[in-house]
Amino acid sequence: MINKPLLTLILLFCTIGISWAQYSIKGTVSDERTGEPLIGASILIKGTTSGAVTDLDGNYTLEINNSGNVELVVSSIGYLKKTIPVNPNQSVVNIQLNEDATNLEEVVVTGLVSSVKRSNLANAVTTVSARDLTGTTTIQTTDGALYGKVAGATIRSNGGAPGGGISIQLRGISSLQSASQPLIIVDGVYINNASQRTGRATVSGAGASSQDDGANRLADINPADIETIEVLKGPSAAAIYGTRANAGVIIITTKRGAEGRTTVSLSQDVGFAKPLRLLGVDDWSEEKINFFFPESRRPIELERFRAAQSTGTFIDYEDFFYNNTALLLNTRINVSGGSEKTKFFVSGNITDEDGTVKNTGFERYSIRANIDHKITDKIKLGISSNYIRSNTDRGFTGNQNNTGASIGYSISYVPNYYDLRRNDDGTYPINPYFSENPVSVTDNAVNNSQVNRFIQAFTLDFDILKTQNSYLKATVAGGLDYLQNSTQIYLPEFLQFQRSQANPGDLFIGRQESFNTNFQAALVYNWNLGTVNMNSQAGLVRLDFDNNSLFNRGRGLVPGQRNLKQANIQEINEQFNSKIQEAGIFLQQEANWEDKIVGTVGVRWDKSTLNGDPNEFYAFPRASVAFNIANFDFWNSGVISQLKPRIAYGETAGPVPFGATFTPLGGTNIGGLLGSTVSTTIGNTLIQPETASELEFGVDAGFFNNRISLEATYYIKNTQNNLQNLNLAPSTGVNTTLSNEAELQNKGLELGLSGTVVEKSNFRWFSRILYWQNTIEMTRLGVPTYISGGFGSGLGTFLYAEGYSPTTIVGTPADPSIPGGFTIWGDAQPDFNLSFSNSFSIYKGLEFSFLVDWRNGGSNVNLSSFLADGGGTTNGWFDDDNGDGIPNGRQRNPEPYNNAGRWVQDASFVKIREIGLYYTLPKTTLSEWFGTTVQNIRVGTSVNNAFLFTDYDGYDPETSSFGAQSVGNNVDIAPYPTSRRIFFHVTIDF
Amino acid sequence: MKNIAKNIGFALIAATIIASCNPLELDDIQDPNNPSVGSIAKNASPEQIQFLITGLESRHRGYVTNISQAWNTFGREIWYLNASDPRFQTDWLGQNGRVPDRSYFGFGNTGGGSWATPYQAIKQADVLKLAADNTDNITAAQKSAVVGFSKTIQGYQYMIPANFVYNNGIRMDVTNPLKPGPFVPYEEALNQINTILDEGFQALGASGSGNFPFKLTSGFNGFNTITGLQQVNRAIAARLNAYRKDWQGVLTALEGSFMNLNGNLNAGPAHPYGAAPDIFNPLYYVPNAAVNTMIVVHPSVLDDATPGDLRVQNKFLKRTNPVTVTTDAGALVGTHQDARWVSNSSPITYIRNEELILLKAEAHANLNQGTAAVAAINIIRNAAGIGPYTGATTTAALIDEILYQRRYSLWAEPWGHRWIDARRYDRLADIPTSYDKGTIFTQFPHPQAELSWDDYIGN
Repeated sequence: MINKPLLTLILLFCTIGISWAQYSIKGTVSDERTGEPLIGASILIKGTTSGAVTDLDGNYTLEINNSGNVELVVSSIGYLKKTIPVNPNQSVVNIQLNEDATNLEEVVVTGLVSSVKRSNLANAVTTVSARDLTGTTTIQTTDGALYGKVAGATIRSNGGAPGGGISIQLRGISSLQSASQPLIIVDGVYINNASQRTGRATVSGAGASSQDDGANRLADINPADIETIEVLKGPSAAAIYGTRANAGVIIITTKRGAEGRTTVSLSQDVGFAKPLRLLGVDDWSEEKINFFFPESRRPIELERFRAAQSTGTFIDYEDFFYNNTALLLNTRINVSGGSEKTKFFVSGNITDEDGTVKNTGFERYSIRANIDHKITDKIKLGISSNYIRSNTDRGFTGNQNNTGASIGYSISYVPNYYDLRRNDDGTYPINPYFSENPVSVTDNAVNNSQVNRFIQAFTLDFDILKTQNSYLKATVAGGLDYLQNSTQIYLPEFLQFQRSQANPGDLFIGRQESFNTNFQAALVYNWNLGTVNMNSQAGLVRLDFDNNSLFNRGRGLVPGQRNLKQANIQEINEQFNSKIQEAGIFLQQEANWEDKIVGTVGVRWDKSTLNGDPNEFYAFPRASVAFNIANFDFWNSGVISQLKPRIAYGETAGPVPFGATFTPLGGTNIGGLLGSTVSTTIGNTLIQPETASELEFGVDAGFFNNRISLEATYYIKNTQNNLQNLNLAPSTGVNTTLSNEAELQNKGLELGLSGTVVEKSNFRWFSRILYWQNTIEMTRLGVPTYISGGFGSGLGTFLYAEGYSPTTIVGTPADPSIPGGFTIWGDAQPDFNLSFSNSFSIYKGLEFSFLVDWRNGGSNVNLSSFLADGGGTTNGWFDDDNGDGIPNGRQRNPEPYNNAGRWVQDASFVKIREIGLYYTLPKTTLSEWFGTTVQNIRVGTSVNNAFLFTDYDGYDPETSSFGAQSVGNNVDIAPYPTSRRIFFHVTIDF
Repeated sequence: MKNIAKNIGFALIAATIIASCNPLELDDIQDPNNPSVGSIAKNASPEQIQFLITGLESRHRGYVTNISQAWNTFGREIWYLNASDPRFQTDWLGQNGRVPDRSYFGFGNTGGGSWATPYQAIKQADVLKLAADNTDNITAAQKSAVVGFSKTIQGYQYMIPANFVYNNGIRMDVTNPLKPGPFVPYEEALNQINTILDEGFQALGASGSGNFPFKLTSGFNGFNTITGLQQVNRAIAARLNAYRKDWQGVLTALEGSFMNLNGNLNAGPAHPYGAAPDIFNPLYYVPNAAVNTMIVVHPSVLDDATPGDLRVQNKFLKRTNPVTVTTDAGALVGTHQDARWVSNSSPITYIRNEELILLKAEAHANLNQGTAAVAAINIIRNAAGIGPYTGATTTAALIDEILYQRRYSLWAEPWGHRWIDARRYDRLADIPTSYDKGTIFTQFPHPQAELSWDDYIGN
C-alpha cells in the first residue's frame, strides 16, 4: 500500500485511452503449465498508459489506439512478465505466462516509502510469502512459521508452551545486553514484540522475568492475515530505519482487497498435538535405592518400592504429564473484494489450541479490516484495523526455586515407584522427594495471560504532480499499537509448598499497558535524467512508546479466592512506567539506468530521549549498487538469464535501554517506615546508542530463463559502542554503569538455490535450498574480561573476552590459559544451518510439500540433564558404562568427571519441520456439485515438527529457558516439550 | 493546473499540521519512577534526610540472608539444604575438593551479600552524611547525630567484607566510585574501623542528648536515644576489639555498651521484618514444613550438645520428617530445624547482651583474669541450665569453654560466629567435615569485579 508507484498510476489512466482506438484484440491469459486462466492479469501496451485487466475467466479485450504494430507487456502477480508483439491483422491473442518460481518480479520494500523489483535489488532481502509462511501447515505464531525460511536467522523458542515465546536473531548478534531482536513493523506500525512479564518466575522463585516463559507479543498477529514478510537482515538493508534496526527489520504486510468479485473464504483446521520427543525415565531397583539414598532413608524407600512392585504401579511421570493429545482448532473467514474506488479485506480468525500439558492452551480471536479507498483520483486512503484478544495458559514448567512450581523440575526428583496422582478424596499425596506435588500444580494452579490489543495503521497518498515522465507524491502514514495484558499467576493455598508457608496461597496479578504511535510524512519525486530513472525521497519519522506496568501480589489467600483483597499479605510487587520519544529525518536517492545499473544512496538522522543527549542527531547512511549484467545488450547467454553482482553498505543503531541515564533513589520499606536507597547503578549521561555498520556483497544469478536462481551473499557486520555494563568495584557500593565500550564483528555467508526442477503440465517440482553460517567475534571488549549468563561457571556460563565470541560457553574446571580462567566447552552459535524445502504439484490440484531443517553444531547448556541426574531419574542413570562401579548419573563425561562440560551438549539436529498434502477440487466438479455458488474447495493434511533427529539429550535442541536475549539464550531447564502437530484442513471459497 | 494547485494546497495543509505539533521536538523526560540521587545532593529537606536514614536501616540488614546461610555453613553451625540447587551443598561445603574462587557460587562476581551488600550500606551512609552536611535545613546537632549513626552502622558493615576475605584485606577508602582506595590488610582495616566507630561515638555525643532526632524503626527500640545509640556503638566496638585482640579495649567498650549482667540476654538492636511492603524474616521456616529447602542444625551441634542445655531445647526443633537432599556428592539429612523465630515477622537481633557477656568472659580469660571470666561464663551457663563451670581456669581451658558456649549461645546468628571464632583462634581444623566430606574454607579471594576494576583502570 505504501508503494505501488507506476503501476497504480498507469492503471488509473488506462480507461482514458479507449476513445482513440483503431483496432481491438482480445484473448485469454492463462498459466502456461496448467492452462488455468489467470484472473486480474494486466496487459499494457508498451510505451503507453493504455491497457486492460483480465476478468474472472482470464479474458481481456483491448482497444489499440493506432494502426501499427505494438508490443503488449503482460504481467500477473507470481508470474514472469512477458512482452508480446501484436499487429493489426490479429484479433485474438491468447497469452500464456510462466510462474515466477524465482520471484524476480516480486516488489520488495527497501525504504520507508520506496520499493524495488527483486531483480533490481542490491541486498539479500528475504521475502516470505503467505504461501511459504502458512501454505504448508498451520503454525500458531508468525515467528514460529519462519523456521527454516529465512537464511541468516537463528530462531529459538522457550519451549513448546502454547502461544509463542520465540526469539529471532538475524545474522548473529548485534547487541550484548539487549535482546538483539529485529524491529517488527506491521503495515507501517512499529508493534510491540516484548516478551512481557507474567510473574511466574517470581512466584516459582526462578528469579527475574527473563525466566517467566512469557510469550513475545508477535503471537497476537494472525499468521493467516499476512500477505508477505520481508526480512531486512542487517544494517546494509535496514539503514533507513535508523536507531531501532541494528538487529534487522521484519516488515509484515497483511492481505488487502482486490478489485472484482467479492470472495468469501472459509477455512477450518482440525488437528492434534503430541510431544515431539520424550526422553523416558529411569527404573529403580533395590540396589539403586541402596546406592542413592542415605541409610536412614532406605527402609522407607525400599518399602515404597516393594509396594509398587507388588501392585505393578510404576509411573513414568514424563509420560503422565507431557504425553497428552491436545486438540487444535482454527477457524478463519475472509471476505475481500471491491470496486475501482474502494477495496476491502475483512478477516476473522479463531485459534483455539490446547497444549499437551493439561490445562494449558492458546486462544486467539482476531478481526481485521483493511480498506483502500480513493478519495479523489489524486488522494488515496488506506487503513488497516486489527483487534486481537489472546488468552494463553502456559502452565508451570522451566526453572523454579524451592517452590516446586515446575513440572519438569519436580519430576526430576521423583522415582517412578512413588505415586503422586490424586487421591480418591480429591487430595493429593505429599511429595517426599521435592517440595511440591506437580500433579496438584497442574490440576489447580493458574498461569494465564489475557491480551486485548488494537493495531491501527493508515496511509494517505497524495498525487501532487504528474507529467509525462515524472511524478511527485506525498505520503503521510502512521498508526498505533495499543496492548493491554492482564496476567495472573495463582498457586492455591492447599498446595504442598503453600501449606509449608506462613501465608499459604500465592496470587500474582499483573496489568501491562503499552501504547506505541508512529507517524511518517514523506515526499517522493520520480523523474528521469536521460535514460536514468531517478526516485528521490525525503521525509520525517516520529515514534512514541509509552509503557506502564503494575504487578500486585497477595499471599495467604482465602480458600478458592483469586481476588487480591482476599489475601492476608498484599504487596505492590512492581510499578514501572516508561516514556520514550524518537524523531528522525531521512533522505534517499535511487537511480535506475534501464534496469542495468541500480543504485541507492540514503541517510537517516535520528534522535531519542533514551540517549545521553536527547537532542543529538545520529546519522545512518547507506549506499548500494546492483549491476544487472544480463540486461546489457552485449549479454547473450542462453544459460544464464540473470547475473547480478551487488554490493551494499549501511549503518544502523540499537537503542539505549530506558533509564540508563538516571541515577535513582529507590524506594524501600522497613519497620513501617519509607526509605530511599542509593541505586547500585550509576546513570551514564553520555550514553550513546550502539551502532552497527554492515558491508554486504553478493551475486544473484538466474539460469535457464530464470527457472533456477542462485543467491549468494557475504556480509561483514561490525558493531561499535556496544552497550554493556561496566562493572565498578563493588566495594564502592555501586556495581555497574552502562558503557559504550565493546565492539563485535559478525561475518557470514548466505546461499540460496531455488528453482523448478521439473515443470510438466501434470507435474511440477519446486525446490529450494538455503544455507547460512555466521561467526561472531568480540573485536573489542573495552572492559575487563568477564563471564556472565546461565548459572555460573559450575553449570556453564558465557565468556566475554576479546577475540572470542560472547556465545562461547565456559565452565569448570579452571583453565588459567583461557581468558576468564575457565575451560571452553562449546559455542551457542551453530556451524551452519541448511534448510531444504520442496513442493510438488501433481496432476491437477494435488500439492505436496515439505521442509527440512538441519542445524550443524552449536551447543546448549542442558540443565534438564543436571536436574534429572541430581534426582536419579535420568534414563540410564544407574548404568555404568565404564564399569568402574560408579553409575553414569554420578560420573558424567568428560573427564575429569563432574565439571561444567557434562552439561554443555551439542545441539545439532535435523528436523522435518513441515509436511503438507493438499487437493484442490477441479472447477468442473465444483460446478457440477454447487453450480456457481462455490468457487474453490481445497482440502489437505499437514504436519508441523514431524520428526526430529538429534543426539541432544533434551526435548528440543532449539529451546531456551531465557526467552529473548542476545547471549545465554540456549539454556535448557525443564522446558515445556515441543509438540508435533498434525492437521486436517479445508478451505471453501464462495 | 488547477488540480496541481489544489494538490499543493493539500500538501501545504498537511505540512502545516505537521509543523504545528513539530514531530521532531522531543520532551525532556525525567525518571517517572524514582527521585534522583542528585535531588538530595544540595539542601536536602529534613524529610529527605529521614528517607535516607530509613534507607540506611534497610541497607544495614541486606547481608542477613547470605551471611546466615553461607557463613554459618562454612562454620558448620548449619547446613543450608536446598534441593533446587545442589551447589548450596556441594560448593558451600567444599565437597569434592571445591574451594572458593573469585566468582564462587552464591557470591557471584561482586561477592554478593558478603561483599557488595555491606558496601552498599557503607555507601548509603556516606551519601547520608554528605546530604546532611550539604543542607541548611537541619541543625548542627542533628547533623552530628546523623554522622554518629552513619559511622556506627559503617563500623558494623565494614567488618563483614573484612571477615569474608580476611587476610586478603579490604578497601577502606570507598567514597569515590571511580577511584576506590587500595586494599589494606585485615589488621589495618580493623584499626581503621575502630577509628570510624570512635568517631561515630563522639559525633553522637556531640549531638546532645535525649532522643535521636530522626525516626528509627522498632529495631532500635530501647536504643533510639543518643545514649542508646552510643551503647550500640560500643557493643559493636567490643566485638571489633575482640577481633583486634585488644582485650582491654573489649572491656572498655563493654563498659559503654548496653551489656547488663543481670539483664535479658536477648536484649540488643535488631533488624525488623514484616509483611509487605516490608520483607519477611528470611530465616523463618514453618515448623515441619514439607519442603526440602531449609536451614537445618548441623549434626555436630546436636552431637556435641550438653544434656539439658536449654539453648538446644529452645533453638532447635526436631522435625517429624527429616529433610533429605541428594547431590552428586551424596545425601545430607537434616533432622532439626531452626526454632528461634516465632513468626516470619520476628526481628533478628544482630548483637545481643549474651554476646557481650561472652566477650567480657573472653577478654578476662585472655587477660588472665580467670575469676572474672568464670563469673561471666556462669551467667551464660546458668541461663542455659547446665550449671556453673567446673573446669580448669587456665586461659586455654577458658577459651575452649568460651568458644564452646559461643557455639550454642550465638548459634546461627547472622554473623557466622563459629567460622570467625575458629579462625581467630586458629582452630578451623576443629570444625568437623566428617558429616559432609567437605572442606573448611579459611577465607575468600577478592571478588572478580574488584580485580576487574583495577584491571580496567590499569592498576
